Amino acid sequence: MSAPLSADLRAGIERLAARYPRKAAALLPVLHLVQNDRGFIGPDEEAEVAVLLGIGPIEVREVVTFYTMFRRRPAGRHLVQVCSNLSCTLMGGERILDYLKKNLAIGVGETTSDGRFTLTTVECLGACEQAPCLMIDFDYHGNLTEEKIEAILGGAA
Amino acid sequence: MDMNRSLEAYREAGGYQAARKALAAMTPAAVLDEVKKAGLRGRGGAGFPAGLKWSFVPAKTDKPKYLCVNADEGEPGTFKDRFILSHNPHALIEGSLIAAYAVGIHQAYVYIRGEYEMIARRLDQAVTEAYEKGFLGANILESGFSLDFGVHRGAGAYICGEETALLESLEGKRGHPRLKPPFPASVGLFGAPTVINNVETLANVPAIILHGADWFTAAGLPRDGGTRLFGVSGPVVRPGIYELPVGTSLREIIFSHAGGMLPGKRLKAVIPGGLSAPILRADEIDLKMDCDSLVAAGSMLGSGGIIVIDEATPILDVLFRVAKFYAHESCGQCTPCRLGTAWILKIVRRMASGNGVRGDVDELARLAAGIKGMTLCPMGDAAALPILGIIRKFKAELEG
Amino acid sequence: MPNITIDGRPLSVAEGTTVLKAAEAAGIPIPHLCYHPAFAAEGSCRICLVEIEGLPKLELACATVVREGLKVQTGNPSVREARRAVLEFLLADHPLDCPICDKAGECKLQDYFLEYGLTESAFRDDKERRAKKVRIGERLLLDRERCILCTRCVRFLRDITKTRELGVFERGVHSEIGVYEDRQVATPYGGNLVDLCPVGAITDTTFRFKTRTWFLSARLSICPLCSRGCGIFIDYHPGFPRVAGSAKAYRIRPRLNPSVNGPWICDLGRYNYLDHHLDRLRKILWNRGDREMEMSRDRVTAILAEKVKELTARGRGDRIGLVLNTGLTQEDLRSIRDVFLGGTPSPRPWFADPPQGRDDGFLLRAERTANRRGAEALGFRIQAVDLDEIGGGLEVLFVFGPYLKEAGSAETIERALAAVGTKVLMTAMPSGLERLFDFVLPATLPSEKTGTFINADGLEQAFAQALPPCGEAWAEGDFVTALGREIGRVS
Repeated sequence: MSAPLSADLRAGIERLAARYPRKAAALLPVLHLVQNDRGFIGPDEEAEVAVLLGIGPIEVREVVTFYTMFRRRPAGRHLVQVCSNLSCTLMGGERILDYLKKNLAIGVGETTSDGRFTLTTVECLGACEQAPCLMIDFDYHGNLTEEKIEAILGGAA
Repeated sequence: MDMNRSLEAYREAGGYQAARKALAAMTPAAVLDEVKKAGLRGRGGAGFPAGLKWSFVPAKTDKPKYLCVNADEGEPGTFKDRFILSHNPHALIEGSLIAAYAVGIHQAYVYIRGEYEMIARRLDQAVTEAYEKGFLGANILESGFSLDFGVHRGAGAYICGEETALLESLEGKRGHPRLKPPFPASVGLFGAPTVINNVETLANVPAIILHGADWFTAAGLPRDGGTRLFGVSGPVVRPGIYELPVGTSLREIIFSHAGGMLPGKRLKAVIPGGLSAPILRADEIDLKMDCDSLVAAGSMLGSGGIIVIDEATPILDVLFRVAKFYAHESCGQCTPCRLGTAWILKIVRRMASGNGVRGDVDELARLAAGIKGMTLCPMGDAAALPILGIIRKFKAELEG
Repeated sequence: MPNITIDGRPLSVAEGTTVLKAAEAAGIPIPHLCYHPAFAAEGSCRICLVEIEGLPKLELACATVVREGLKVQTGNPSVREARRAVLEFLLADHPLDCPICDKAGECKLQDYFLEYGLTESAFRDDKERRAKKVRIGERLLLDRERCILCTRCVRFLRDITKTRELGVFERGVHSEIGVYEDRQVATPYGGNLVDLCPVGAITDTTFRFKTRTWFLSARLSICPLCSRGCGIFIDYHPGFPRVAGSAKAYRIRPRLNPSVNGPWICDLGRYNYLDHHLDRLRKILWNRGDREMEMSRDRVTAILAEKVKELTARGRGDRIGLVLNTGLTQEDLRSIRDVFLGGTPSPRPWFADPPQGRDDGFLLRAERTANRRGAEALGFRIQAVDLDEIGGGLEVLFVFGPYLKEAGSAETIERALAAVGTKVLMTAMPSGLERLFDFVLPATLPSEKTGTFINADGLEQAFAQALPPCGEAWAEGDFVTALGREIGRVS
C-alpha cells in the first residue's frame, strides 16, 4: 500500500486540472507528475488520481496501459531506453544495445540487481541526426560510442 | 533558420513583428486570405493546405474554438519539430498567435510527445516569457485579442500524431482515432471546432504575414511553396536539418547538403518522407522534393524525414524495423491494423531468424494489401504502403 | 427523402438513415460486428465496408448517412474481397475452438465465414495465446482468445447501464478487455453482454457446456416477473427421442420489442424465471388430514363442482371466496369472472400479489406481476386480502397463486383458513401453505399457456404457449372453465 499523494502533489494535480474545461483532460500530464514522484502508477495512485479528476479508476488504468511511458511497477533508479528504429539501427544501434546488455548484465526489460538501471528498447526518439541514440530518464544522448556509454552510466547515481 | 531561443533574441531578429502587423493592421479574414494565397501546405505529413483547413472552422458558433499544435513528432526519421521547439520556440508561439487570430481562437494547446520532456520545459519557459511580455494572455499588444496557451505532454504513442487520436489523448483518453466525418473543424476538442496544425506549419506563418504570400511562393513550387526543414539521417557525412526550398532535388539534399555517404558506404535506397513513405531505390533519387513529385514517384513527401540506407544493410533489416514499428504502435482499435500488423510481424520475424519459406514475401504483400484502404485511420496505409514498396522494389533480395 | 440505389435497386430513404439501415430495410443484409443499433457507430470491425460510387476507398455502411443520388454496391468483387480480408484477419487471431464453444450455431464469425469467407487458412505462424476463462461477473466468463475487440460489451456498460465495469487495456494486438481489480460486472443487466457478444468470448455460466444451440427451438413469450412485459425467447430443448436428455428450457433471451424493452431484459427475468421449474408442484393432491392422495382432473373437478352447485342452490353463493393475483392472464380472469361472478366482478375476490420491489430506473418495475392493468380493465377491483373476512365463515375458498403467505403471519393465516370449509389452492410454485389446503392443484407458469397481459403502459400483449406444462400443471383458466362446464353454467 502506498502512502496517499502528498499535499504538494495534489495541489499540482489541481493546478493542471484547472487548465482545461474538463478536469479529466489533465490525465496524461497528471500521470507524469505522479510517476515522476512515485516512480510508477499502482492501484493506489490510480484510485487517488481518479477521485481528483472525477473519473473512474478503470479509465485511469485504460490510459496507463495504453501509453508506453507509463509504468505500473517500479523500475530501476534510471530508465535506459535504447532506440531500436531504422536510423539508429543503420548507425549501429544493435551493437549499442548488445554492449549495454553485456555491461549491465541484464536483458531488455530487466533491472540490474542493485536497482540502478532498467534497460528497455524504444521506438524513434526523434533525434535521428545523432543516431544511434538512447534516452536515460529524460536526457537524450546521441552519437553513442562505448566510451560515451561508460560516461553516461557512470554519471548516473 | 534563425537560432533564436530567448524572446529578446527573437525580437531582435524581427520576431513578433508579424503578430503586431496582423493584430493591429489586418482583419482576421485578411490574415486567413494571405495564408491561403501563400498555399502553405501542412508540414506534418498529410500536406493539407493550412489556410483551407482554417477556413473550415465555422465563423459563427456558440462553442469555444481551439488550436492544437501537433508536436507529437513520432514519424521515424523526423526531428525537425524538435529543432524548432528547442531553438526557435517563439516562431511557433507567434505562428500560433496569428493562426488563432485568423480563426477566432482563444485557447491553444501544444500536444508535445512525452519523450521531449526537456524540450517541453524549454517551451514552458518560452511560453512564460511570452505571457510576461504580453504576447500571450489577455489583450495581446493592446489589440483586444486574447489567447491562452498551454503545453500538454503525451506519453509515448505514435498514433497520437494522427489528429483525432491527438484530440482523444488531449481529452485524457486512450489515443484511439475517431471516425470522420465529423471533422475536427466542426467537432474537435471537447466537441468544439478545432484547428490542428503541425509545429513547422505554424512556424512558417509569421514570415508569410510579415513578407507576404508572394514572398513565400517565390521559393518552392506553385501550389507547394516556401521552404521546408528536411531531415537527413543514416550513414551520411552530415546528418541534420536543412532548410531548403520545396522542390529541391533529393540527390542534392543527400549528396550536396548532407555531404553524401560516409567513407566506404554506397547508397542502396532512400526513404524520403519518414518511415511511412514508400522506399526509393538508389537510381530513383533524381526527383524534386515536393508533394506532387513524390506522389508521382509512388511515394510521399510526408514529414520530409530522409532516411539514407547503404548497401551493407540487408533490406530484410529495413523490413523488420518497419514491421516492428507499426505493430508496436497500432492502437488496436480496428481489425485490419491490429491483426494485420501483428501477422506481418510474425512472418517477418520468422524470415529474419532464417525460417522464411517460399511464398512468405507474396504473403506479406497480400496481407499489406488487406490493410491498405481498409482502416479507420491513415495509420493503416502508413503500415501497409512501406511494406508494399519494399517488396515492389527489392523482391529479388527478399526472396534470395 | 433522399433517393439512392443499392445494388442497382432504387430506394427512397428517410433523411439521416445510414446505408446499413437502408440496406437492411430493403432486405439486403450487411455483415457487421461492432455495429449494434443501440449504440452510435463505432467503425472498428471494418466488415461492413461497401463501395460508394465516386469515392476512392470503401466506406462504412454503418456510419455513412444517405444523401441524394448515392449509389452503393454491397456485393461486387471489391466489397467481397474486403469482407474476406477482415474475416481472414479475425480468424487468424481466433482459437477456432467451435467444438467446445457455446456460441457455435449462433456465432457471427461462423455465419459470416460461411457466407463471405470459405477460404483455406493461410496462417502458418503461432497464434496469440490469451486467458480463456476470466471471471468478469457472477455468471459471466470472458475468453480473451475469442474476443474480437468489437467493444460492444464495454460500450453497453458505458452508455446503457453507465456502470463501466469493463475497459480496454494495453494497446495494439495486446489489447484486452477486462475488469478493474476485483470490481466485476454487477449491473442487473449483465446477462445482456452474452447476447451482445457476437462470438463466444463472453459466456454465461448457467448455460456453459449444457447443450448445443441447434438443439434448441426459440419460443416466443412475455416475461411475467413485473409489469413491464418484456419480450423474451425461451430456448427449449425437446429432449428424447430427438436428442438424448430431458426436455426442458435452457435459457431465456430478450426478444426485441422497440416499444417495451428494446433489445434488453434484466437479469431477474433472464435467470430467475426458469429456476422455478425445479420446485414446481406437479400433481393434483387431496389432503385427507392423515395422508395425501393423488387425484385426476375429472375427479377433482367433479368434487368441487358439486360443492359449488350445492352452495349456489342453497342461495349461499356468497359463501364462495376467491383469492386471485394480478399475474393471471386475461383469459384466466375472464373465465373466473364468468364462472364465479355471474359475468360481472363482485367485490368478493381478494388479490394476493408478491410484494412490490424496487423500480430500477430502466426496465424492472416496482410492480412484480404482469397483468394488474388487465385485471382492472376487466372490471376487477384490486383489493388486498382480508384474513378476518376469510375466517368469517366461508364454505369454499379458491386461492390462485402462492402469495397468500404475504397476507399475514403464519398463525393468522392458519387460523383464518381453519375456519373455511373446503380450501382449494391452485399454484405453480409452492407457497409453504399447501398442508393447510384440502385440494392442491398444480398451475402452469405463463410460459406454459396461451394468454394475454396488459402491461403498466396499457399495451396488450398476447403470447402463445411456449413450453409443455410441467407434470400435470393446468392453466387456471382451463381449470375454471372445466369447473364451469361441470357446474352447468358454461356450456
